[in-house]
Amino acid sequence: MSGGEATLFWILAPLAVIGALGMVLARNAVHSALWLVCTMLSLGVFYVAQAGPFIGMAQIIVYTGAIMMLFLFVLMLVGRDASDSLIETLRGQRVAAIVLGVGFAGIVGAGLSRALAGTGAIGLDAANENGNLQGIAQLLFTKYVFAFEVTSALLISAAVGAMILAHVERAKGEKPTQVDRMKARFAPGSYPGPKAGPGIFATSDSVATPARLPDGTFAERSISKILPVRELTSEESALKGTEK
Amino acid sequence: MEDLKAPSIDYAAVAPILILFGAACLGVVVEAFVPRRARHAVQLTLALLATLAGLVVVITQASTRVTTAVGALAIDGPAVFLQGAILVLALVSLLLMGERKLEPGGAFVPQAAITVGSEADERQAARAPGLTEVYPISLFAIAGMLLFVAANDLLTMFIALEVFSLPLYLLCALARRRRLLSQEAALKYFLLGSYASAFFLFGVALVYGFVGAVDLASIHTAAAESDRDPLLLYAGLALLSIGLLFKTAAVPFHVWTPDVYQGAPTPVTAFMAACTKVAAFGALLRVLYVGFNGLSWDFTPILGVVAVLTMIIGAVLAVTQTDIKRLLAYSSIANAGYLLVGVLASGERGLASTMFYLVAYGFSVLAAFAVVTLVRDADGEAGHLSRWAGLGRRSPLIAGLFTFILLAFAGIPLTSGFISKFAVFAAAMEGGQTWLVIAGVISSIVLAFPYLRVVVMMWLSDPSDATPTVSVPGVLTTAALAIGVAMTLLLGVAPSLLLDLTTGAAEFVQ
Amino acid sequence: MEGYLGSYATLGLLLLAGVLFFTAAFGANRVLRPSAPADPFGKREPYECGLDPVGGDWAQAQIRYYVYAYLYVLFAVESVFLFPWAVVFDRPGFGVTTVVEMAVFVAVLALGILYAWRKNVLRWS
Repeated sequence: MSGGEATLFWILAPLAVIGALGMVLARNAVHSALWLVCTMLSLGVFYVAQAGPFIGMAQIIVYTGAIMMLFLFVLMLVGRDASDSLIETLRGQRVAAIVLGVGFAGIVGAGLSRALAGTGAIGLDAANENGNLQGIAQLLFTKYVFAFEVTSALLISAAVGAMILAHVERAKGEKPTQVDRMKARFAPGSYPGPKAGPGIFATSDSVATPARLPDGTFAERSISKILPVRELTSEESALKGTEK
Repeated sequence: MEDLKAPSIDYAAVAPILILFGAACLGVVVEAFVPRRARHAVQLTLALLATLAGLVVVITQASTRVTTAVGALAIDGPAVFLQGAILVLALVSLLLMGERKLEPGGAFVPQAAITVGSEADERQAARAPGLTEVYPISLFAIAGMLLFVAANDLLTMFIALEVFSLPLYLLCALARRRRLLSQEAALKYFLLGSYASAFFLFGVALVYGFVGAVDLASIHTAAAESDRDPLLLYAGLALLSIGLLFKTAAVPFHVWTPDVYQGAPTPVTAFMAACTKVAAFGALLRVLYVGFNGLSWDFTPILGVVAVLTMIIGAVLAVTQTDIKRLLAYSSIANAGYLLVGVLASGERGLASTMFYLVAYGFSVLAAFAVVTLVRDADGEAGHLSRWAGLGRRSPLIAGLFTFILLAFAGIPLTSGFISKFAVFAAAMEGGQTWLVIAGVISSIVLAFPYLRVVVMMWLSDPSDATPTVSVPGVLTTAALAIGVAMTLLLGVAPSLLLDLTTGAAEFVQ
Repeated sequence: MEGYLGSYATLGLLLLAGVLFFTAAFGANRVLRPSAPADPFGKREPYECGLDPVGGDWAQAQIRYYVYAYLYVLFAVESVFLFPWAVVFDRPGFGVTTVVEMAVFVAVLALGILYAWRKNVLRWS
């Protein structure tokens, strides 16, 4: 490692590890996702530093861009507030998972450091001889062309699958048209006129404050069913000063 | 800068794969443009024709022994044989998927995105015709499997693994009945499957670190000649094996199997039990026999322990099951163990017997799940074993066929189950793996118990009000069931037909 | 400024300059602005009139957005493959083959859009 590369490594490697730990330990799922972005960006820079600019940029564009966006979409589907349930359905599972995980990481780490101790990188200059991107293209469109084409099959089956699982197809006539709504409005038993607006004849323009009828009672129809009825206190309905 | 050369591809050799991929893409177009009413017929015909066409081409390629696409694909004896096996078994599975007589609209949900239990869900469960996207998705899976058994480098193999896994995850989520169970099964399969794929990829990376290439021939050479510390190679092989053993449902990577087999729509379960096993073992055979055969002294003891565990645990847990699909799932785990015995027998005999076992087991398990789709009550399939009591009195034909299949699973002579177990164990004896054979025989005895319990229950109990009726199968299920049972019998009585074929095909090209 | 990483030094400098500019601008703002905010009753309420906020501030997104997000990923991956293609497709003796290879790839992915269009996934209803 040259001096610059070593500096880069020692700045970004702790960041990547902290990001990974933060991703596992964060209580809030969105925070987890953002920690992951930190790790992935660091990895992208590592790839660039190791003379793989294309894969580094792909990591940043595809992973931190597209895939992380997908993650966030999923989190918004599930719910940002849905923090993990801390009840273990299998007793001792978490302890076992931590022990096994750390043990596995230890074995792999120790094994790799033993196997690779003193081994220098070879073949980098040969691989990048005609330029990094050209080298990749050469492999992609000759040796691995089958794998490349089949990737499109993978992507398309995933796309069709996502649409099957996420899209409700509506047949014609399932959604009420304007004519249907009109008929329902003027059907016997429903009141065709506009509803009284909320807050009229009252001291507030809040949509939660019901209108008053001529006899002074509240018009329940004037506010939405899902809102709790609110009457303002005199303090709240007083004019508010905006200056200090 | 050197000139690039266009890769030369032997199009005749890879034609089956291309046909299946093309038909799958065509299926997506059909889905987009053919009117809803005609879609099912068109899709089913297209899928069956494509599979049949693939099979015909595979048969014409029977003597092809080449590597093509710059060494990425090896179309050799085992690849051609296993591709043929996958296509035949997939054809029968497609027949099961196409059945719409047993349940109005078929076994698949009409719209998977509708919330389970909502009013719209009840409306669609009652009568709407099922999804027809299942056919193109299945074709993608079949094409992926064909590629998987022919992949000659680990990168192509990984992509093929993903190409056939992803459609399977999807198919698992599409059951018409018990949709929550089905979706849970799909999610479990997806999460654990991705995890296993990650192990596979990690293994590829480590092997690349040792060899400097990912094709199996280079791995073979490097394993034999390199004088460096082979730790990376061993670690890579271990991680690769985890990824492959997950797909074959070997212990301790089997935990997904019962839940997924139970939750998935039964035709899909049949497809997975038959075809995925063939594909996964095909790739395992190629990796171990071509890439890592120099290390067989090192991996045999470890994989042997996995095989013993798989046989014993699968058999013992099968005894305790009360649901027919879970019972068959554990039986499938135990069978993965017997197949591993064949794999570890090594040599031509091991390869040939494993391939024979895969085909024989595939036909039997398809027939078994075909029967499971038939035994139903108002809530769909009657899965609980207690409900099967007295079935023999009520519908002796179906109960008789199921008894025959269970006896085949138990390995009674005159069935394919006996011949295939015998072949595998004989190969293992010859290969010097007596301990595996002993464990295999013990587990076979244990495993016979749950099968015989079902048989006894069907024939010796009196039918009660809870005994479900056996629906009259449509043409497609009848055909699938007939093919499965006939092949189980044929391979038991005249096994030499297929044995000759497997022996002739039992040689990999490098 | 030599070697492989040297070419990225400009990028590093630019990043550093960006960070400095940002800190300087906001620091200057902080130092120079008067600090005497008015704080009447109700200023810190989400609304001075209208609805009392009920529940949390999170609304569950519709799952149909997922399809859009996925389609974006699909074409991001495609564009990643287009970059290496763009540097070799006009190579002598190789042109037509790569064009066909890429055309097959893009055509298969285009099927996804075709399917989405026919299934009305792209229409907002």
